[in-house]
Amino acid sequence: MKKNTTLPLFSAYELDSRFYDELFKKNNELREVYKTLYNLFGSYSVSEFDRLNKQAKDSFFNLGITFQVYGEKEVKEQIFPFDLFPRIINNKEWTKLEKGVLQRSKALNLFLWDLYHDQKIIKQGIVPEDLIKSSANFLPEMVGLNPSGGIYNHISGTDLIKHSDGEYYVLEDNIRCPSGVSYVVGNRNAVKHALFGVFNQYNAHTVVDYGARLLETMESVKPKGVDAPVCVIITPGVYNSAYYEHSFLAKQMGVVLVEGRDLFVDNGFVYMRTIHGPEKVDVIYRRVDDLFIDPLVFRKDSLLGVPGLFSVYKKGNVTLVNAPGTGVADDKAVYTYMPEIIKYYLDEEPILNNVHTYHCSRKNELSYVLDNIDKLVIKPVDESGGYGISIGNRLTKEEIEIVKKTIKAEPRKYIAQPIMSLSTHPTYIDEDESFDPRHVDLRTFTLLGKDTDFVLKGGLTRVALKKGNLVVNSSQGGGSKDTWVLKK
Amino acid sequence: MLARVANNLFWMGRYIERSEHLARFLNVNYFSSLDAPDELSQSRQFVLRSVMYMSANEIIDSDITLKEESVLFNVGLNLEEHYSIVSTFINAHENARSSRDLISTELFECINKINHNLKRYPIEKFVKSGLYEFTSMVTQSSSEVRSKIKSTLLHDEVYAVIMLGVNLERAIQVSRIINSKLSDVAASKEINGNETDGNYQWSTLLKCVSTYDMMRRFYKKAPARKNTLEFIILNEECPRSIKSCLSQIYKYICIISKNREVSTDSAAFLIGKMKAEFEYKLITDIDDNLEDFISNLIDQLILIAEKLEDNYFNISDAITSSFIEEEKEEV
Repeated sequence: MKKNTTLPLFSAYELDSRFYDELFKKNNELREVYKTLYNLFGSYSVSEFDRLNKQAKDSFFNLGITFQVYGEKEVKEQIFPFDLFPRIINNKEWTKLEKGVLQRSKALNLFLWDLYHDQKIIKQGIVPEDLIKSSANFLPEMVGLNPSGGIYNHISGTDLIKHSDGEYYVLEDNIRCPSGVSYVVGNRNAVKHALFGVFNQYNAHTVVDYGARLLETMESVKPKGVDAPVCVIITPGVYNSAYYEHSFLAKQMGVVLVEGRDLFVDNGFVYMRTIHGPEKVDVIYRRVDDLFIDPLVFRKDSLLGVPGLFSVYKKGNVTLVNAPGTGVADDKAVYTYMPEIIKYYLDEEPILNNVHTYHCSRKNELSYVLDNIDKLVIKPVDESGGYGISIGNRLTKEEIEIVKKTIKAEPRKYIAQPIMSLSTHPTYIDEDESFDPRHVDLRTFTLLGKDTDFVLKGGLTRVALKKGNLVVNSSQGGGSKDTWVLKK
Repeated sequence: MLARVANNLFWMGRYIERSEHLARFLNVNYFSSLDAPDELSQSRQFVLRSVMYMSANEIIDSDITLKEESVLFNVGLNLEEHYSIVSTFINAHENARSSRDLISTELFECINKINHNLKRYPIEKFVKSGLYEFTSMVTQSSSEVRSKIKSTLLHDEVYAVIMLGVNLERAIQVSRIINSKLSDVAASKEINGNETDGNYQWSTLLKCVSTYDMMRRFYKKAPARKNTLEFIILNEECPRSIKSCLSQIYKYICIISKNREVSTDSAAFLIGKMKAEFEYKLITDIDDNLEDFISNLIDQLILIAEKLEDNYFNISDAITSSFIEEEKEEV
């Protein structure tokens, strides 16, 4: 259905009744909360908007908020695609989201403690032993270890979508190294510069406090006996695609950004090499994967880590944020048990919906999956970044047969979920010179420290720029939007 | 401050300063030669050789004829030549990028923008009509960067390390420019005899270090050998003189080494000693043997750079050692 409008920037806005559109209701009526923004965008001519859009993109480029693309001849710098139309979350919706993601993070933390200690949840048959035993992300080295403050997942990124029923569903919990928070701040700045006028009419929560709260969280889990902890971030280096984020967070917190080669272990402590000699390090926010943090314990070929780091961690002389081995709990197979996990540890009903999941490891569910591939999304259990996902209604008959074969070969590796209808949001499409609905999701950021927690009031709205595409990951050509959480 | 990052910032300072000197040398020599008083100074080949000597530290055999467009391209925009202005600035940018958590957003944005502009500059335009525009853009840009360094950073160790790099590189580049002009003057004398108007080369020298106007104001005389050299080597008030650079270097090494005992083979000691020697130097002391003095000066400055790396930046890392090698080759 084409929208009936004379506004130049919405001339090609086409609603699809199968999805929840965040701008228009089913009856073509504008949603109340977007009225002011819609009128503002509606008042621009295409050329005016093009200019604003270009300015915003240039600002990302000039600030070096970019990633590198390695071509045949030269290295090209590109910005992450960004859309100027902000996503608004009203206060009521947000209050529920905030409670819900915090509940999940806390439950996951208790789950991790249990998994690496008594495994009561398995002994009581709430989750199957097989789930953990066969997980590549369970680190035996972590068994019996007590992380400072009892915290494993200090930083959690929760991916949510709004389904056609208008409800939020959690798609994924990310508790290894969730990234993207620097874009939340970057996007906000770009929107502020371009649309400064409307901020008077929308009372949106700030997002700049994330760095300060992250530092508080890190300091709260300092090792025993340390008074004023020295906190650092460890990065794989300037060639890492998230390097901008690492340097951004270091700057926001005013802490040192180190690489593995800057650190060394001596006599049970970690030090960094400064111009005045060694300086002890107490808390490390590591943006290096589990298996690369210490070549003496994990991958021996790792050049990114620090030899001996894990032994210092074991002694409790340094805190790692997040703790190693958290990956076992953000596995897509564990996800399906989240309602039970929440009930078991917190004795609460889950606040947020989980998407119903079929386990290919279970015989009867496997046969349902094999018979209904065209209605399902098939996901590998242990891949991240949107890789290896098959969306049933996009596959040809031949492709369905191939998917069936792959699943049958290793059923444990796959789960299936009904195809969720991600909501759509107005997104500017250059070729059409108009806004058009595109699918979006939302990543929230939650911090857990010793006796402290925080959910960033805002988040990263990721948008799939290709028409009809449901995969929003940046590695699959997704872009992002500023996200406003309203104060009232 | 991390030793590795200190090293990056030191080199960021050096590369920013270096790009400015390379650009100005190219600009001044090329454009002033267009209406130079004697035939040699006006000759394309003579100017191009001088430019190659300064930028690439290459002495070109006399039987080779240089192609103007390719020399200009190599010195200005050739990404594959490590000595080109654009490569030099890219190095500055890379060093800034790897320490961007320590420097201000304003400073990084400034360096980043310039880096994009230089890389985007069309080659066709540069060799045909953009030489002046491009080189002026580089010299202006590096002042812009220095002003961001000065006005948006905390004047602490981070600042001291950057300024140490800037001033050390400045001293080295000014010494090299003097060196190259001394050899131009010698070549000119060989052909034109003593009658030649040396005035022209001295003026060019002053313009290459952007001190021509101030020198005229200070002496109220036309530039000649003695007053020119006195001005740019020994005048403490001239911000680009060797003496002034040494004072700055001394000031910043004191900030960095404050808590350390100064051993006699350290950079701090060597810097202090050189500064003290310059304190009471007269132009008449060095005028007789200027070539040796300058080449000795360059050696000393390189030694300081090496000692700084040893004393403060040493984390025995591959990237650093390649920088040291490059430095040794160059002079």
